[in-house]
Amino acid sequence: MTTAVLPAGTRAEATPPAVRRIALIGNPNTGKTTLFNALCGARAKTSNFPGTTTSVRTGHREHRGVTLDVLDLPGVYDLDVASPETEIARGVLDGARGAPPDAVVVIVDACNLGRNLVLVGQLLAHVPRLVVALNMIDLAGRRGVVVDADALGRRLGVAVVPTVARSGQGLDTLVGALQMPPAAHPTDLPPRGADAERLAAWAAAVAGEVTRGGDAAHAHDAPTERLDALLTHPVWGLMTFVAIMGALFWILFALATVPMDLIEATFAQLGTLVDRTFPDGPVRDLVSQGIVGGIAGTVVFLPQICLLFFLITLLEDTGYLARAAFVMDRHLSRFGLPGHAFVPLLTSHACALPGIMSTRLIPDRRDRLATILIAPFMSCSARLPVYVLLTTLLFADRPGLAGLAFAGCYLLGAVAALVTAKVFGSTILKGRARPMILELPSYKTPSLKNALLTAKDQGVSFLTTAGTVIVAICIVMWWLSAYPRVEPPARAVELRAAAAAPGVAPDQVEALGAEADALEAKASQAGSFAGRIGHVMAPVFEPLGFDWQLTVGVLTSFLAREVFVSTMSVLASGQAETEVDEGVVDRIRGMTRDDGRPVFTPATAAAALVFFVLAMQCLPTLTVTRKETGSMKYAALQLAYMSGLAYVAAFVLHQALRAAGVA
Amino acid sequence: MSSPSRPAAPAVPLTAMPAGAIATLHEVRDPEARPVLRALGLLDASRLRLCKAGDPCIVQVRTTRIGLSRAVAEHLFVVPDSTSGA
Repeated sequence: MTTAVLPAGTRAEATPPAVRRIALIGNPNTGKTTLFNALCGARAKTSNFPGTTTSVRTGHREHRGVTLDVLDLPGVYDLDVASPETEIARGVLDGARGAPPDAVVVIVDACNLGRNLVLVGQLLAHVPRLVVALNMIDLAGRRGVVVDADALGRRLGVAVVPTVARSGQGLDTLVGALQMPPAAHPTDLPPRGADAERLAAWAAAVAGEVTRGGDAAHAHDAPTERLDALLTHPVWGLMTFVAIMGALFWILFALATVPMDLIEATFAQLGTLVDRTFPDGPVRDLVSQGIVGGIAGTVVFLPQICLLFFLITLLEDTGYLARAAFVMDRHLSRFGLPGHAFVPLLTSHACALPGIMSTRLIPDRRDRLATILIAPFMSCSARLPVYVLLTTLLFADRPGLAGLAFAGCYLLGAVAALVTAKVFGSTILKGRARPMILELPSYKTPSLKNALLTAKDQGVSFLTTAGTVIVAICIVMWWLSAYPRVEPPARAVELRAAAAAPGVAPDQVEALGAEADALEAKASQAGSFAGRIGHVMAPVFEPLGFDWQLTVGVLTSFLAREVFVSTMSVLASGQAETEVDEGVVDRIRGMTRDDGRPVFTPATAAAALVFFVLAMQCLPTLTVTRKETGSMKYAALQLAYMSGLAYVAAFVLHQALRAAGVA
Repeated sequence: MSSPSRPAAPAVPLTAMPAGAIATLHEVRDPEARPVLRALGLLDASRLRLCKAGDPCIVQVRTTRIGLSRAVAEHLFVVPDSTSGA
């Protein structure tokens, strides 16, 4: 059993005030999150520090009938380095951000004691009650590093508890040690605000006194050396990176569709159940289509978000994610982006929501903002049906060209993103892009529990913050598309009367009813608020070659791009199709303008395609941008910039094609 | 790092070192990078090993491995260890 080392100068019979509120702090990559998860389990929750975009995790731990509130502070190397994370950590410790914690647990990596003791030295001068968790003691042992915890405890004047957070070893002892009375700090500790070199020299001296083996200036860590030689190699490293990221993308893009389809099917059944239960009327429509539809439209994002965080937590735990950032840095730094930006940008090809949420991996706020702002340019899966529809309309009998145009859409989105990063980096974003300085942590076996808890936390965090806004947006967009109710067109009334006439064959009744339904759906779409706004806004989109129907398609797809297909399908035939099959394409191709010309001329279809590649047609993404940046300003910038660029590009293309003689 | 000690041998940029070389950090001529490097344990007179040369490179100081882009590494001036063959 692990025992706490009672610091020198404490009295066993002392009864200090009970500790109720503790904070965890430590260098990045010391296993702090794993230790937090081991202490608090699944009951923890993630939120942002008030007024910041830095997330904090809070949880509870029962110990001998007392509930401890546990706060997981951001990872910091040094309390004197200027960064948002350090500022938050200092604010919490000093009591500037609410009541200060009763005790602080500093997690140190037993393999890297010298560097970790710098933070311990600063904390000794900062906080009255400190306990050291000497973590990853098992890994240190395997590397031949032996740390004398007893000697370290005596030297620092605080309890030092050897722990293995992954297995939970030492946790009870650690919590018990929190109740020990504080002791006198070492007399040779450099004073608060001391020169960094002095503190580092003190830390190195203390580490040297209590450590044996493995801490030489150029100690070889053979497994790490071998893996790094492969994973950071210009060729093999890149190939491994492509393979791992390919697998990640496939899981998000293909595998996530299984639970997503299940969620959609479940909510569709729920909607049907509501339709059967409630009496016909606006309340039934609101519940079955607005509320159930809105919740479905939000919950459907969960599989990708949870899967992504599960996988990147595993990758981060292994130490690979830092190597991936290392490999990509040289390629992305040309555009003012860090290597870390690759995962969010790749993920955004599946969906921008988890992509933007995963920018939390990026340490620097400026880099994070740059990545968030460009992520929605990446062609997400919601654009797929739109691309399929428009490229098929453009190149009906030339599938080769359609495929090329399809691939061109992905390329255009990626190029627009990188160019935008470059432009924003030298204009809007303050400061210059920081060249890479990145710790490459030791390779470790990942913790499944850690990954599951993180996935759960991020899913819950999404639902309780951005999710509620997205549900509200879905309901409003549904209302705009469904109201006001319009009178059925005269032809539909005639058809229904004909169907009700005596002697009509059952199959004819059905056919007449279906035709009447289609006419009513078209009239309803055209007469709705969205339809009316489409009419009013049509002159704005006229230079792009869009008529009022296409304008309605653009407006309704502002909720989500794939809605474009169902809107156009309703306007074409009265049937809300979401799958792009031959029949749907034919019906949409046959759509005509008020003057009888086709809606989708080649020039118009090409302009619409470019518009959908570049435009910010996704309200949920804007909601997440606002949440992750902590400011409406960046969401507004994203909307204005992307929509403006899409409009100008579509306009230029349409006019150029017309000038070149393409109708 | 404000008053680096006089080196026994001339200090050279880290980018001029071959992979595997061991050296002592003499000076960081990038004020923005200095506090971050210091927090990672790269202080004046720290002994380091260049594990991987090029852009980016990897240095090891004690047991910490740090990836550095060339834009940072070229501002790190080191004194090669005469015994490391650098």
